[in-house]
Amino acid sequence: MTPGTAASLRRWTPLLWIVPAALVLLPFFFLPLVLLFRNSLNRDDPMLLMVPDFTAINYIKALSDPFYLQLFANTIGAALFVAVIATIIAYPFSYFISRYARRSIGLVVWAVYMPLFVSVIVRVFGWMIVLADSGLLNAMLLKLHFLQTPLRLLFEVDGMLIGMVHRYLPLAILPLFNAMKKIPDELHRASANLGATPSGVIRDVVFPLSVPGIVISLQLTFAGALSDFVLPQVLGSPRFRMLAPAIYAEATTNLSTAMAATLAVLMLVFIIALLGASGYLVKRLTPWMTAR
Amino acid sequence: MSRPGIEAIDSAGMYRGLLVYVLIVGAFLMLPLVLAVMLAFSSGGGLEFPPPGLSFKWIVKAAATREFREGLLISAVVAVATGLISAIAGTSAAIAINHFRFRGRAALQALLMAPLSLPGIVIGLAILFTLPAFGLVPGIVATIGGHSVIGVPYVAYMVLASLSNYDMSLDRASASLGAGQWQTFRRITLPIISPGVTAGTVCAMLLSFDNVALSLFLSNGNTLPLRMMQSMQFYTDPSVAAVSVLLVALSLAAVPFLKRSFRETHMERA
Repeated sequence: MTPGTAASLRRWTPLLWIVPAALVLLPFFFLPLVLLFRNSLNRDDPMLLMVPDFTAINYIKALSDPFYLQLFANTIGAALFVAVIATIIAYPFSYFISRYARRSIGLVVWAVYMPLFVSVIVRVFGWMIVLADSGLLNAMLLKLHFLQTPLRLLFEVDGMLIGMVHRYLPLAILPLFNAMKKIPDELHRASANLGATPSGVIRDVVFPLSVPGIVISLQLTFAGALSDFVLPQVLGSPRFRMLAPAIYAEATTNLSTAMAATLAVLMLVFIIALLGASGYLVKRLTPWMTAR
Repeated sequence: MSRPGIEAIDSAGMYRGLLVYVLIVGAFLMLPLVLAVMLAFSSGGGLEFPPPGLSFKWIVKAAATREFREGLLISAVVAVATGLISAIAGTSAAIAINHFRFRGRAALQALLMAPLSLPGIVIGLAILFTLPAFGLVPGIVATIGGHSVIGVPYVAYMVLASLSNYDMSLDRASASLGAGQWQTFRRITLPIISPGVTAGTVCAMLLSFDNVALSLFLSNGNTLPLRMMQSMQFYTDPSVAAVSVLLVALSLAAVPFLKRSFRETHMERA
């Protein structure tokens, strides 16, 4: 960690340690990204599949054709909904476990981590059981006479959104938890001492200090939902198209490889812009973390 | 830090209200996992809930389904290979970043971690475009390569976390006693960071085992998650639930390996 270690003696050794990672990432990550961009400038031909070219025609089409504009609107709308709802649900949850973590840590932290570790397919399957026409939720609501006919949730936008909120909730909880656990108990006590009400402490002390956590929660959940394939594909509606399944469909069934590449590049640009924006926001909102 | 202090701030009513809320959200998080596991032991034929009775017929049926058995084998082979590659490449990359000071080090770290923040569906499609250049077609080798792109930064991230308190004077002491770099790594560094290496490798294997977005393009549609997805899209019977039991059990088996490292990186109180 200090200068003047063995590092200065052998300037070439770091290169040697990085070789294995480079052998994986250069051929399977960096080169592919370059090719992806290159292919997005090619042309799809109904007879000849992808034709080499150097044209922006796919981008123009993707950003002007109503079909693709609807696709982007659906995806961004759904991702925004999931990000906001998941962060709102996560906020009081994270507040509680950050304040009382040592007493409740075991079970509650399990409930957060467990879904992250279990295959998304299992989670989706669980939601099918809940949301199906003859599923748990409808059976309960019918029995309690809240409904006469079952609600149609599975293979609809509603079911997909419920599944997505569930999938990304842990990703909203963890950054909020990490931000809130850094707020010392003394700060709570001092505020109470000075006459702040419990809700006043949350509004004027906890909330401002947790804003970076909120930004990261929103960013992670938004990026996740934006690029989700499994949930739209399995729980979603064929009438509400989402970006990731659309990329897959263009590349496979539609044989529009260049268009698939173009949509993928646009998704990438969007996610990188989002990362940059949230990084900038966190830096602006927490000057005390960078100014040392 | 003491309980009375906390109680003086959050009123008892607020504490109780929040506790109920946390339990409800916790139940919401666990609900689909619990249901999937319960349905595996149903004697019914569809998704009806509660199950009409208890039986093992879906477990038996899933075990006899060729697609699931083959998928399990392929996914296991891919996960083990991905784990091995990620452990070696991820650990050594973490050493390079932690032990040495060189120009472009921050940029290198950012590049190394980049695959973690990019969508799998984009990486999968991009790799698919590159396969012909290596004379590859979608299959096990391509899938292993693709999964390793996620696994390497994951291991590197967790090893870097366990290196954060590493004392470089150990390396100097070892060198002054005549040990070479490799010997120092094997006998000094590796034992110290082994919890991070283990946790990272287990994570890389779990991520590979559950991966959908990359396998979609890089495998022949025959990994276990893809087989499950296919069977869910065409007909839904509880045999998918039976496979889910296996996956939940696998994740639970992985927890002890992750616990220590997660506590170090996420759960410590500031």
